[in-house]
Amino acid sequence: MGKEIIKDKINNAFLRKALKNFATAYPVARAKAFEGIDFEALRGRISEFKKEGLKDLPALVTRFKSSAEQAGAVVHVCSTPEDANRAILGIIQSRGADFLVKSKAMTSEEIELNHYLERYGIRCLETDLGEWIIQLAGERPSHMVMPAIHKNKEEVAELFSKETGKECSPDIPNLVKVARETLRSGFLSGQVGLSGANVALADNGTIGIITNEGNDRLVTTLPNTHIALIGVEKIVPSLTEALDVINILPKNATGQKITSYVSFIKGPTGGNGRELHIVLLDNGRLKLAADPDFSEALKCVKCGACANVCPIYEIVGGHVFGHIYVGGIGLVLTPFFHGFDKAEEILKLCIGCKKCNEVCASKIDIEGLIVDLRDKIRKPLGQKFLFGTMMKNRKLFHAALRTAYLAQKPFQGEGGRIRHLPLILNKETANRSLPPIAEKPFRDLVAEKPGIGNRTQAGLKESGIGEKVLFYTGCLADFVYPEMCMDTKESLEKLGYEVVFPQKQTCCGIPARYSGEIDIARDMARINTDVLLEEDADYVVTICPTCTMSLKHDFPKLLEGDPVYKAKAAKLAEKVFNFSELAARKGGIGDHGPGTGKGVKQTVTYHDACHLKRGCGVYEEPRKVLRELAGVEITEMADCDKCCGFGGSYSIKYPEISQEVLKNKLDNIAATGVTTVAVDCPGCKLQIEGGLEAAGSSINVEHTATLVRKRLG
Amino acid sequence: MVEQFKAAAEAVGAAVKLCTTLDEAIASLKELAAGKMAMTSALPGNIHALLDDLTFAPPDRTDLADIGISFAMAGAAQTGSLLLDLTDPAERSATALPQIHAVFLKASTIVSDLYALHDILARTLSSSGSSYLSVITGPSRTADIERVLTIGVHGPKELHVLILEGE
Repeated sequence: MGKEIIKDKINNAFLRKALKNFATAYPVARAKAFEGIDFEALRGRISEFKKEGLKDLPALVTRFKSSAEQAGAVVHVCSTPEDANRAILGIIQSRGADFLVKSKAMTSEEIELNHYLERYGIRCLETDLGEWIIQLAGERPSHMVMPAIHKNKEEVAELFSKETGKECSPDIPNLVKVARETLRSGFLSGQVGLSGANVALADNGTIGIITNEGNDRLVTTLPNTHIALIGVEKIVPSLTEALDVINILPKNATGQKITSYVSFIKGPTGGNGRELHIVLLDNGRLKLAADPDFSEALKCVKCGACANVCPIYEIVGGHVFGHIYVGGIGLVLTPFFHGFDKAEEILKLCIGCKKCNEVCASKIDIEGLIVDLRDKIRKPLGQKFLFGTMMKNRKLFHAALRTAYLAQKPFQGEGGRIRHLPLILNKETANRSLPPIAEKPFRDLVAEKPGIGNRTQAGLKESGIGEKVLFYTGCLADFVYPEMCMDTKESLEKLGYEVVFPQKQTCCGIPARYSGEIDIARDMARINTDVLLEEDADYVVTICPTCTMSLKHDFPKLLEGDPVYKAKAAKLAEKVFNFSELAARKGGIGDHGPGTGKGVKQTVTYHDACHLKRGCGVYEEPRKVLRELAGVEITEMADCDKCCGFGGSYSIKYPEISQEVLKNKLDNIAATGVTTVAVDCPGCKLQIEGGLEAAGSSINVEHTATLVRKRLG
Repeated sequence: MVEQFKAAAEAVGAAVKLCTTLDEAIASLKELAAGKMAMTSALPGNIHALLDDLTFAPPDRTDLADIGISFAMAGAAQTGSLLLDLTDPAERSATALPQIHAVFLKASTIVSDLYALHDILARTLSSSGSSYLSVITGPSRTADIERVLTIGVHGPKELHVLILEGE
């Protein structure tokens, strides 16, 4: 993605304000809309019937076609955008018409219908207010449901003044009135109307359309000919399934319980001379439906919720974060609808926070699909060498990190932190200082000071010391935060665990996987699986949520097709826990209850790491550990589970976006008035601490393990 | 259920009046339609007969109507929604073009929610022939400019629901 356009969007004050206001208002409205409704059950049903339908989408298409034809519609199945455009042109010409009045259809944007028709002298009029605005501006939608969210009222007033030839004041009710009056003649004189559809019912050929403005009802009523342009994935078996989609869509899209209008249209209505044409658009969908790895993407009901909660969309908007379809699912659908060349850059823009997965109306693993798609795009030169040669060879990788300790010295400022990196990174890291690579990584420290971990297993059991834990630190903690690792080891020992650090552990492979080097990630998974199963232990503990997620969820997925490693990965996954999970088990028992231990009771705020909360489903345990073992009070911040902007290498690839995401986090932290932020992730610590330090704040960031060690130690 | 319907419909900007008799509802409607050009849609004969003193727009000039008058098949209490059978495009226009839309709704036809409308929807949609059903909730609205909610963009600006309790 061009850095210039990213900077443009970041510096567009109106866009930033509009998106931020929406990001703040949306979760509140959404929660209210879902009051009394079991969201998980509802989306679970949608996910299931969509999945079932995709198993044989051609059959669903055939059923719908025959039902719709029985009801009197003419059905055109079009495999390419060109076919669909040509079919629509043919219908318009056969009616002797030269003017098309339209209600909102993303499929029409997908096939760029207006451009096509205008080449043949057909005038197109968009009547959805947002679509009309962007049609006048010559732009494309920046949101699936709110196409003109990037436009302010002044810009709209200017466009309307130009279009109507009359001065329009930038007063919103007035602008809406102008739209009503101006577009009304379009409805009344439109010879052919075109709509999209939100659902299509295979059993009786009905289509369902939802809108708030009511323009779809005019478009499908006043002209004698109605064309509905519908993606084939919108077909559901019957009304039962359609009602679930209609129920979830407005709630997830804008936080409305229901839209003003839901129209069910079956066949042409109004007798002689009236026609209903249904243009079913394939454009890669049937192929995608049969794709074992990516068919899930077609479960999408196009609610746009993935964009609504995306921290990156919030910063850059849909003209950067997407192609024609925007938001997380837009990134996924673009390669299949518009080609991999259009998707290459945008696929890299996802930070991997999984916030979209949490709200997806059809339970799509959007983030997982984005990561998997990165394997299919062109990779930067040298990347294969970096991951393939260097990271797979632990000694070489660790030697490089040790060399980096020496290389960084000239850049270390007061307190040892790095404030100015050489070359291009310089300017873009100005809002975040970096911690240096430690002189001695944890692996060296623990070798010198093994603690109880070196005793024999038999001896430990006899002495009554409990379960044995293998400590998988992750590279960042090992080489940058060795003291965090030491705190973890000591806390767990105080809590009665025996802790052992296997020296042969190496990178979990996530950086390779996120960069699209899936084969290398698979090799790293095999290496670590062997290392962590070599020694018999009750648990494997990690303090990096990304590593936890990787070991517990990604390894089994990556090694699913490996006959030898499939069982090994499953065995390992069962043993893997995050620090807070193991520590929480000892909360409130023995000597570790609240109010015990040393130190002054303080108040902290807790930042949920994306990969701990959404990657591992762990968010209660850390709070229990903080309250019961670290003995602190928690003041929750707004959006406590929203990404800090780190995302591993993301903060280096897109520092300009990363630091904007970070600013939001710092504002929320500052608003709590606390002096300590507790985290369970070395990456979040690096990012948040760096931002606070660069901003001159005295707030410090501590791993939960450190707070526990301070209390118990 | 009637109370729930009323609260939900009012929450999205509809005006709801509970009428104990048909006469009361007709009187309210006449107040709304006074001095305005009217159009009717899907009205039962007995109600239509009581409205013959209103001024109607010519059948071929539906765009001139100020108020559309219709009769709902059912209501959904949870969202304050109305279900209308509008298979005739002229009747549909009456609920889509004018500034005001007034709807009669029998209290006895109010069901709990969207899902409870399933059977009546399915019955109509599975019968042979064409059909066009509308579920209408509140007046026409948009938030497409700066997400500011504005009422009455392309459809009616006012939605009046006259609930017939005794009928």
